[in-house]
Amino acid sequence: MNLSSALEIAQIGAYGLASGLYLGFHLGAGPTVARWGRWIFIIGFVIHFADIGARCFRSQHPLSSTAEATAFVAWLLAFGFLAATTRNRLPAIGAFAAPTVLVLLVLARVLPQGEASGLRGPLATTHILLSTVGEAFFALAAILATLYLIQERRLKRKDFAKMRSGAAPLETLDHLAARCVSFGFPIFTLAIVTGAVLVARLGLLHKAGNVRPEYVLAVASWLAYGGLIVARRGAGWQGRRAAWVTLAGFGGALLVLLAYFLRDLA
Amino acid sequence: MGLELIVLGLSHRTAPVAMRECLAVDPNEAEGFVKTLIALPGIGEATVVSTCNRVEIYAGATDRVAAFDALRTYLAGRLPADAGGVGELETHLYRRAGRAAVHHLFRVASSLDSLVVGEPQILGQVKDAYDLATRSGAAGPLLGDCFPRAFRIARRVRRDTEIARQSVSVSSVAVDLARQVFAGFEGRRVLLIGAGKMADLAGRALKAQGATVAVTNRTRARAEEFGQRLGFAVEPFEELDQAIGRADIVISSTGARQPILTQAALARIQKTRRNRSLVIVDIAVPRDVEAGASAIPGVYLWDIDDLQKEAASALSGRRQEAEKAEQIVEDEVLRYLQTQRGRGVAPTISALRSRFLSVAAAEADKALSQVPEADERTRKTITRLAESIAAKLLHNPQVVLKKEAAGDMADVLTSALAQLFDLPAVAPEPPQSSDEPSNPQAKT
Repeated sequence: MNLSSALEIAQIGAYGLASGLYLGFHLGAGPTVARWGRWIFIIGFVIHFADIGARCFRSQHPLSSTAEATAFVAWLLAFGFLAATTRNRLPAIGAFAAPTVLVLLVLARVLPQGEASGLRGPLATTHILLSTVGEAFFALAAILATLYLIQERRLKRKDFAKMRSGAAPLETLDHLAARCVSFGFPIFTLAIVTGAVLVARLGLLHKAGNVRPEYVLAVASWLAYGGLIVARRGAGWQGRRAAWVTLAGFGGALLVLLAYFLRDLA
Repeated sequence: MGLELIVLGLSHRTAPVAMRECLAVDPNEAEGFVKTLIALPGIGEATVVSTCNRVEIYAGATDRVAAFDALRTYLAGRLPADAGGVGELETHLYRRAGRAAVHHLFRVASSLDSLVVGEPQILGQVKDAYDLATRSGAAGPLLGDCFPRAFRIARRVRRDTEIARQSVSVSSVAVDLARQVFAGFEGRRVLLIGAGKMADLAGRALKAQGATVAVTNRTRARAEEFGQRLGFAVEPFEELDQAIGRADIVISSTGARQPILTQAALARIQKTRRNRSLVIVDIAVPRDVEAGASAIPGVYLWDIDDLQKEAASALSGRRQEAEKAEQIVEDEVLRYLQTQRGRGVAPTISALRSRFLSVAAAEADKALSQVPEADERTRKTITRLAESIAAKLLHNPQVVLKKEAAGDMADVLTSALAQLFDLPAVAPEPPQSSDEPSNPQAKT
């Protein structure tokens, strides 16, 4: 087994174990389980970082392929989760963040390591980087929105027993999700712009048949997030409605990623 | 002679409030009280934990019996003439010494002996008692070891168990549930509809956490009296809808026979609030708010049944968690005793070493006196040889003694070594367990 494989196994193992512990906590195990989950998640995060560094030395940097970009999204998501929960240890978020990081990482490692959808050049690199970072913010926002909906449902149904520990207040979840969208949106906007320029340069917009579904989905996601920001600021949108729109936007962004995966696999 | 931890006191378990009041120590006189304690016979260190639920004296005693006697007499002297004297006091007092006293201190600090198990105030009160002893010059190595250890254990209990995470009173459950919606109460607007006892408690708790509290009542004078007494603003009852529109949390406890807030009215108000989160705690019976209101987006409605069920479930949860906490305390007492015993073998090792080395030096001198022609180098070699033999012989006993220091064999080994090698009596007595309530009723 070479170093790269060992790092891969170690990080997937650590994230897997952390996911199990966080889910265990979510299902009723004590706070010690969540604390262990956090420490093991941090170990996975550090190994993941070392792996990204090692891959850069082998020219497999995060922008070299969709797979590497996805692994980088997973790392950014892990970083975002740890950063968001540094002051308020909200282990309930871990039950969603850790499995998401794990799934993204496993997906990245089973994907072929080819060039990112045939895109080359500095503009393409910028586009992939911006899309990756934007997606990471939206993924975190989607996790927080999911937690919001679960927590809100429990409060409405008076299911107090399940809320006793580790759950974040609705206001915190809503606020954090809004911040993630606010950070992610300008980055994603630039990704859309650079993507549009790339597509135009490739001359793909001359015929309607050349417009791929992922372009439409990306624009739809962008519109959803843009609309959400306007609605939050202008019409005071918050809570459940905002959570659903956040999830819808991320659904679109996820489908864009999936379309790239499928193209790479093809 | 070493000090032994003892505790003498009374608590909500053994004494009525009238007796506890008589012995309560005023914070202004606490320093003088503690200074008096350390001047009593048999006492080297002391402090007092005086709360509404307990008055306990923790002391480092050189003579357990004399110390208990002196403390009891001193406490009896503080009783007013009509309190029944020492005889009455004796029926409420309990005494603990050694292991039992350490165990008691750890339990008290961990809130396992509290009226409401898991309540957080007691740890601060025990810390105050230790600060008092330090300030008064009444704390020494014994209290300096036991009390900080008790604080660490209490923190561990709170961290590793759920004992303090659930509220057990209706008003605190309401505040805790509101905390599931709002990140904090700083700047939140709370509206109390009606001026009942529970609204008063919840309102005060929220105000203490930075919320702005207003009260409204059908009888304006009653609202004004209530608001003035507690520092709450007063809203006119006729403008209830507008007041709710501005509020984040509403606590309703009127005596109305019909709901004062219908689902339709609340839906209308909620629209004007753009569905901002609104927590409504309805503690009135019959209820003030129509049950269907909880279906309105952004409205979280809990009634008295919800709160009481949650409080009852929390109480039962605390009892279960208390078992885990008791185990933690038990383990920590054991660890403390093991550390004490570990410290106990050090003097034996030192005495044994002195004995062996002095014998080796004496024998080397004796041998050298028979060879006066020996040069300096030979003398040094023989002296080193004697010391080396002694050190080699000492090695294994030292290792075994250190290894067994924390175990049950420590006492046997130290006393055997003392007898075999005629060592001076250096090993301190290990803490003996003594749990002596003055009367069967006082046994906890």
